[in-house]
Amino acid sequence: MTGGLLRRVVVPVADPDDARATARALRDASLPDDASVLVVFVVEKAGGAPDKASVEQREMYGRDLFEAFETAFDSDAATVESDILYGTDVAETIVTAAHETDASAIAFTPRGGSRWVKLLTGDVATSLVEGSDIPVVVLPDVDEAATDGGPAPGGTDE
Amino acid sequence: MSEAEGAGDQELARDLGFLEAYTIGLGTMIGAGIFVLPSIAADQAGPASMVSFAIGGIVSLLAALSLSELATGMPRAGGSYYYVNRALGPFFGSIVGWGMWGGLMFASAFYMLGFGRYLTFFLPMGATGVAIAALVMAAILTLVNYVGVKETGALQNVIVIALVGIIIVFIAFGLLNYDAATMGEFNPFGWAQVAATAGTIYVTFIGFEVIATSAEEIKNPSRNLPLSMLAAVVTPTLMYVLVMFVSTGTISRDLLINSRIPVAEVAAVFSDISLAGFNVGAAAMVVGAVLATVSSANASILSAARVNFAMGRDRILTNWLNQVHSKFRTPYRAILATGGVILLLIALNVEIGTLAEVASFSYLVTYALVHVAVVVMRRADPSDYDPAFRIPDPLYPVVPVLGLLACVAILFQMDLVVQVIGVVIVGVGIAWYALYARSRSRTEGLMGEAISPEPATVPDGRGTYRVVVPVSNPVTESDLLRLAAASAHANEDGNAELVAVNVIEVPQQTSLSQDLAFEEERVQAQSDLLEQAREVAGGLEVGIRTRAVVGRSAARAILDIVEDEAADQVLLGWTGKRSRREHVLGSTIDPVVSRAPCDVTLVKLGPEGSRGEGDIAALAGQGPHAPVAARRAHEFADAADGTLTLLNAQVRDDAEDEGEGEDDYHAAGMETVESVAEAAGLESDDYEAEVVPATDLETDLLAALERFDTVCVGATRTGTVSQALFGSLPETVGSEVEGTVAIARGPEDSPRSVREALVERLQP
Repeated sequence: MTGGLLRRVVVPVADPDDARATARALRDASLPDDASVLVVFVVEKAGGAPDKASVEQREMYGRDLFEAFETAFDSDAATVESDILYGTDVAETIVTAAHETDASAIAFTPRGGSRWVKLLTGDVATSLVEGSDIPVVVLPDVDEAATDGGPAPGGTDE
Repeated sequence: MSEAEGAGDQELARDLGFLEAYTIGLGTMIGAGIFVLPSIAADQAGPASMVSFAIGGIVSLLAALSLSELATGMPRAGGSYYYVNRALGPFFGSIVGWGMWGGLMFASAFYMLGFGRYLTFFLPMGATGVAIAALVMAAILTLVNYVGVKETGALQNVIVIALVGIIIVFIAFGLLNYDAATMGEFNPFGWAQVAATAGTIYVTFIGFEVIATSAEEIKNPSRNLPLSMLAAVVTPTLMYVLVMFVSTGTISRDLLINSRIPVAEVAAVFSDISLAGFNVGAAAMVVGAVLATVSSANASILSAARVNFAMGRDRILTNWLNQVHSKFRTPYRAILATGGVILLLIALNVEIGTLAEVASFSYLVTYALVHVAVVVMRRADPSDYDPAFRIPDPLYPVVPVLGLLACVAILFQMDLVVQVIGVVIVGVGIAWYALYARSRSRTEGLMGEAISPEPATVPDGRGTYRVVVPVSNPVTESDLLRLAAASAHANEDGNAELVAVNVIEVPQQTSLSQDLAFEEERVQAQSDLLEQAREVAGGLEVGIRTRAVVGRSAARAILDIVEDEAADQVLLGWTGKRSRREHVLGSTIDPVVSRAPCDVTLVKLGPEGSRGEGDIAALAGQGPHAPVAARRAHEFADAADGTLTLLNAQVRDDAEDEGEGEDDYHAAGMETVESVAEAAGLESDDYEAEVVPATDLETDLLAALERFDTVCVGATRTGTVSQALFGSLPETVGSEVEGTVAIARGPEDSPRSVREALVERLQP
């Protein structure tokens, strides 16, 4: 049943550990044959005041997350695309993007974090679960122990 | 197709309209200055200090004009630093980068002390108390920016409008209560003192720069950037002059210069209503001052992080500092560093006037260089610089010249202590350049172009077309050399020459000779590699020389050889993978691509049999380097008897257009193909033309390219340092297309150094 749900899934990622954990969880989930995954990172806008960090800086950060995701996913089970989104409300932006791409579901792994941190950064997970009219799939964080041991991709090319 | 380059999405990131940009600038400008400076200014120049404010305003207006031209030409994060680094190179880039960072830290410390002083109105305390209040507030602001508490535009607007309201009421009352007798002698200390005071109070005019540092966030920047910047200079200038007039005309000189809360003191004269023991007029001014100092310091801390980021982007500063926090998504290290120095400056008990003056000094140096940058950009006129706002004709070059002179004149009038500290900050920038930035920076500056704007033709003397080919992998070596030979043959029959280069890189820690002794294996491999190159070239009917080099940096060594050989082209291999953050395409590729003064061809080899052979396509778009790519493709096709197709993609705005506009798209595509072919010097029977209808440029183009064995694509981006060296489309084609891909660029966008340009000028 989850197969149909994960046919075309939008996957928000927030930090490198999150990207890797989500990629692993998705790889281990039973994806249907023609599955496609859209990894998104939201650049949060202040909407009228200066942002808390440069837009370009966070775009670079987002691209690093996409790379971490693809390295950890490392599977032909689905086509993986990525996109950087912009919006004042992170959860709302993700849901809008999911609608625009006819997604079957939004999937993420819970990031944990103390209540204190959630208060400061906004609890995107809760807003997504409560505010989305598209199915939301919470993936288990499968390989907790290996989270920090993920191989750093890169190196030089010659 | 270059038009489609990432423009669409980026627009979403721009959410500051005119009003927002204006209030951001205004908020920082009104900030501390108007509330703290009147006593300092009156002390230094008496009532004539209002002229100092007018001078400051005019200097800023000139700077805002120059900055507007630069900012609309390159609307990216980093403000003055970015423009100066781009135009004048990393030497001046380092000076301005450190100057702005230092200036913002000194200014923030100044704002915070001003904040502490105004608190004494409600909470009587001595100098230590003021310093403690300043420290606490600075720490809070650092923390707020560390965790990135989201501000809203609405709050910002409310604060600024409230401030403007308070000040207008203040001025209105003041004009009614004005007394010429109180003012006394207008200019008691002479005009030199007035000019020096302009230097002191200049700190209050640095706020409009915040608009430029956030240029990447501004909607419709070609209109909103100049408008908001000019408005954010003119409004507070008028206010300052009037506030100074009112202050000196309302309370006695002695009272004014000894007051720590001058504006509140003046307001107390207008109103005799008291509430809970506090004078209402004065209290209103105090509330305003507290809001203003906090908002100014906050904007400055954010601004400093943008400057750090822009410096890291150009490799002038370590990107370690620009690490984004995984939870808060803020540049937390940059914020902490800035906050730490602000706290230190307050704790060191630096005099408030000195803090203000050092910040002024740094920014006057910055704006002096900004004026130079405008002239350099206009003369160098790089292809990607097309500012929507240009200083109108009768004002150019008057504005930059006058602006530069004004900045320098004020700098010379400043206190010796301030000049010493300022020169130390400039010295830090220079030392930083010499020890760190020079070897790492990816920009060259455009001063050479400005001195000698004609496109450079690489002089050779012997009429030999020379291609430098860095080789390191025995497997790919022969194909790279073959492609280079194809290119060389086409350009100069009989007189073509390849230079195969291999570099053994020796890490910084070891001495060159010491490492070599242990590395006999590597030396052996190098000589094998170059021996093989000679054999390959023997079969290609082309001259070859080999150069074996040992060096600290492969890129540096290759660039040296390119210059030494007066090479016409450098052709290098690429794995097709993008690199991690520190580099775009690779540690060696990045510097060579961005700095080589000749044609550059980057080749990703596809499967056997598709390497510069078979069906060859060149993308014929509107990018400046499409003709170079077409020429390369033609050379490859010629040498290997392949077919050549020039491909153009036309993006349809929406699906409904289908059918009806078909012919138009096709015609437009053909027209582009023909103009590219003409620019590349191709005859009409050299190639087939093909127009690809596309709804999504990237996807459809990649699909169309699948059937080709070899694809040549020209750089779409030039000059600018960014995360894409050639432009995102060529690099995507490079990493996605299965076959062989050659990304090419011409020579003209690699700026010459000042020395090269002078040599060229002096040659008959």
